[in-house]
Amino acid sequence: MTDLPIAAAEEAAAATAGHSTRRTAPFIPLPVTAARATTLAGAVITTASTFMSWTYTTDFPGDLTVSGYPGGLQVMTLIGALLTGVVALGTFGLKGLRWLNPARTNNGVLLLALATLGTTWYTVIDIAAKLGGFANLDPGGIVAFIGALVLFAGALALPLDRHPEEAADTEYYELGWFEQVTPVVRGYAWLREARLHHSELRVPDTRKLNPWLQRLVIVVVYALGLKILTFGLATDYSDIFIGYLIVVAIGVWGLSASGLIKQFQQLTQHNKRFAGTIGVITAIAYPFAQNNELWANLGVYVLIVATVALGLNIVVGLTGLLDLGYVAFLGVGAYTAALVSGSPFSIWSGTQFPFWAAALAGMIAACVFGVLIGAPTLRLRGDYLAIVTLGFGEIFRIVVRNLDGVSGPKVTNGPNGIAQIPDLSIFGYNLGDTHSVGSFTLGRFANYYLLMLVITVIVVLVFTRAADSRIGRSWIAIREDETAATAMGINGFRVKLVAFALGASLAGLAGTVFAHVTNSVVPDPYQFSGPVPPNSAFLLAAVVLGGMGTVSGPILGAALLYVIPQKLGFLSKYELFAFGIALILIMRFRPEGIIPNRRRQLEFHEDDAPAPGNRPMGDDTVPATTAGA
Amino acid sequence: MHTLPQQLANGLFLGSMYGLIAIGYTMVYGIVQLINFAHGEIYMTGAFGALAIYTNLPSSLSIWAALPLMLIGGALVSVVIAVGAERLAYRPLRNAPRLAPLITAIGLSLALQQAVFNWYPDAKSGKRFPQLPGGPFHIGSVDVQSGDLFLLGAAVICMLALGIFVRSSRTGRAMQATAQDPDTAKLMGVDTNRIIIIAFAIGGFFAAVAGLASGLKYGQIQYNMGFQAGLKAFTAAVLGGIGNIYGAMLGGLVLGIAEACATAYIANVPGMEQFGGGAWAQVWAFVLLIVVLLVRPQGLLGERVADRA
Repeated sequence: MTDLPIAAAEEAAAATAGHSTRRTAPFIPLPVTAARATTLAGAVITTASTFMSWTYTTDFPGDLTVSGYPGGLQVMTLIGALLTGVVALGTFGLKGLRWLNPARTNNGVLLLALATLGTTWYTVIDIAAKLGGFANLDPGGIVAFIGALVLFAGALALPLDRHPEEAADTEYYELGWFEQVTPVVRGYAWLREARLHHSELRVPDTRKLNPWLQRLVIVVVYALGLKILTFGLATDYSDIFIGYLIVVAIGVWGLSASGLIKQFQQLTQHNKRFAGTIGVITAIAYPFAQNNELWANLGVYVLIVATVALGLNIVVGLTGLLDLGYVAFLGVGAYTAALVSGSPFSIWSGTQFPFWAAALAGMIAACVFGVLIGAPTLRLRGDYLAIVTLGFGEIFRIVVRNLDGVSGPKVTNGPNGIAQIPDLSIFGYNLGDTHSVGSFTLGRFANYYLLMLVITVIVVLVFTRAADSRIGRSWIAIREDETAATAMGINGFRVKLVAFALGASLAGLAGTVFAHVTNSVVPDPYQFSGPVPPNSAFLLAAVVLGGMGTVSGPILGAALLYVIPQKLGFLSKYELFAFGIALILIMRFRPEGIIPNRRRQLEFHEDDAPAPGNRPMGDDTVPATTAGA
Repeated sequence: MHTLPQQLANGLFLGSMYGLIAIGYTMVYGIVQLINFAHGEIYMTGAFGALAIYTNLPSSLSIWAALPLMLIGGALVSVVIAVGAERLAYRPLRNAPRLAPLITAIGLSLALQQAVFNWYPDAKSGKRFPQLPGGPFHIGSVDVQSGDLFLLGAAVICMLALGIFVRSSRTGRAMQATAQDPDTAKLMGVDTNRIIIIAFAIGGFFAAVAGLASGLKYGQIQYNMGFQAGLKAFTAAVLGGIGNIYGAMLGGLVLGIAEACATAYIANVPGMEQFGGGAWAQVWAFVLLIVVLLVRPQGLLGERVADRA
């Protein structure tokens, strides 16, 4: 294997550290120098192309007709190409840029090149599809098309770190009768073999950096995160948003392959408190960063679903109990808050609790229901809980619908729900009014966003503190093996009931705010699956997609699942279908979710695990980042 | 109409439908300890498969001639989906943590429901289903529709056939062995993968029969009919003792009769006047499930089994 000096050095280092990655021959055989030159040339061509005109007409979303500066989707290509070029230079050993690729692997370059290729080709093909044929491309578009291809080809010619060859575990990855079809088997083996492998790559220790520099880096990264988020939300057309998604998703994957994200996680691990504080400050800055009620509205709903998903994560992720009617507890909280809100449609329209009392009432009511449902079922095998909670979720909706004074006693006003819930007022600060802070104005949704943020922080604290405590360890033990945990002296039933009741009360807490944000409560959102987000299937998908048992996972998952269909309106029809397929695919190919919990990842990928002892143990909790919200 | 025999008959018909669907849950659960959450959707696709056959037949064909074809069509759809789900979605996860296949099943259920909603022509709201001519028949003080008779007949035939199959055929005995102890069964030469496939297929077939029968009974099918029915059927399976095929049928009947009686008679209980009627039927079924889980968690016919998790 002809390889470059740093790679050789790294290989030696990797060998001593007991790493399992293997640097292998590239997909396209080219001398290393040629491959590097091709990659850089591709990056330059693609970058240059974004300053040209890509199409004749302005009919295409975002103005791509202008020469001289990039616009619309060209910006995505530009960012992708620049990032790929810079990271590639760092990988090739250019002094001053090496920090961009701490793992010294070409995998990151390949993935970033893929991101560039993806967004560029998406743009070009979208132009052709929208305007009718490739004839509508200006030379700039063709240059971009070819440049991105050159870039990707160059990156493919670089030697890559791949997953070492292992005997396929036929039990877990069973092919069934496909096994008799040789090309399928061979293709599957090739795919398995070609899996890029980077999670084990060693990165330099960040603790050597100046502590102030460390903090500066954290601040800059969070600010950048907020900027990227607001940029994405501000995209006007779904075409541009798709390009943005391609760049961000594959780009983040590429950066994680280059070790940059791992290094940042190290940083936040060492400065946990500081990172947490900055995360919260970044989240507070969100309504100020864009003075727009629409985005604040988006923000408050994302926070609500994220908080509820986090509560569900205690039950599903930490304790391993599948709760399929979780949204009903949100409903219990919301209805409780609505009944004591002083709404004229409430049966107790005279009573108006202060917010803290309403929140407490919502929590207690949800907790009571949690215990009522949990107590008979948690003694039994786990599957019963799934079905009983599913039934409970459905019954909750039916009961609320029936308590209208006709089919049953009058409590909830039936399908019409409790409307005209007054806005909250906390310490004389009416959340319904617009307030100005300095030169910023905070509208209704921005106010609720900030209130909801406080609740999210509380839930995050409860989650992390509980997970690190004795009871949290009991939950994880129960999840891993209930029989063994019970044998070790854990009172399985009690511990599970605590998890279940805690999860329920957190949902109830979020529900109290939810009732006030929406102004009214109706039975329809509280069902197992439906077109409106807070339904149990949505919450479960958020937890599973983000990563069970982590803090940032469900927040990220909920944000993605809420924002993407909002931005891509044409998808909404197939949203639930996509959820279903996504759940199946995630469980099949990445059951640990986007942000894996270390211990869970081991559990799911036992066949991939290297010999015991090579893994860095511990390091279970992912740093709390709220910037993704 | 509100006589006791009438209510018992209503419960009997409803219960045989629950029982037919519950067979699928209970067989799969008995063998692989998986709640095949998508089973309600398999029942729904069976009904839509039957309807698709009917709409493509020449209208001159009588309903009696179309019925076997509809049954074959619905069964084909259901069995293919059930077996396909097992091969492609569940089998790869057989050794994964328990939560994984359960979540896959939920995903499958959502995907199937939405696939019918989006791509079956005009399935956004209820679809009309052909009706059997004749009836209602008056047997004593009881009114019976011809659809109900079909349902009852189909349930009885299916149950008898399944009972004979499981008890006396070689495959049936292999099935019992696999349910008792899959590892030992494997050592004794049973192809457990084949047994699992057969369990899914039988469950799918029974679900299709139930789907066709419910279409004939109610005259209408909907893309989301599987959710409620699945929930009820699972309740029935638990009620009867999950893993026990006779238990599933008995649980279905008990649940159906309890539901019918609750609908009719709860309102007569002092203090409960407002909780009767069809609107509360689901609630009482659920309450029954909770009570059974509290009092007799192994179900009516089930034996107490150790947690194999």
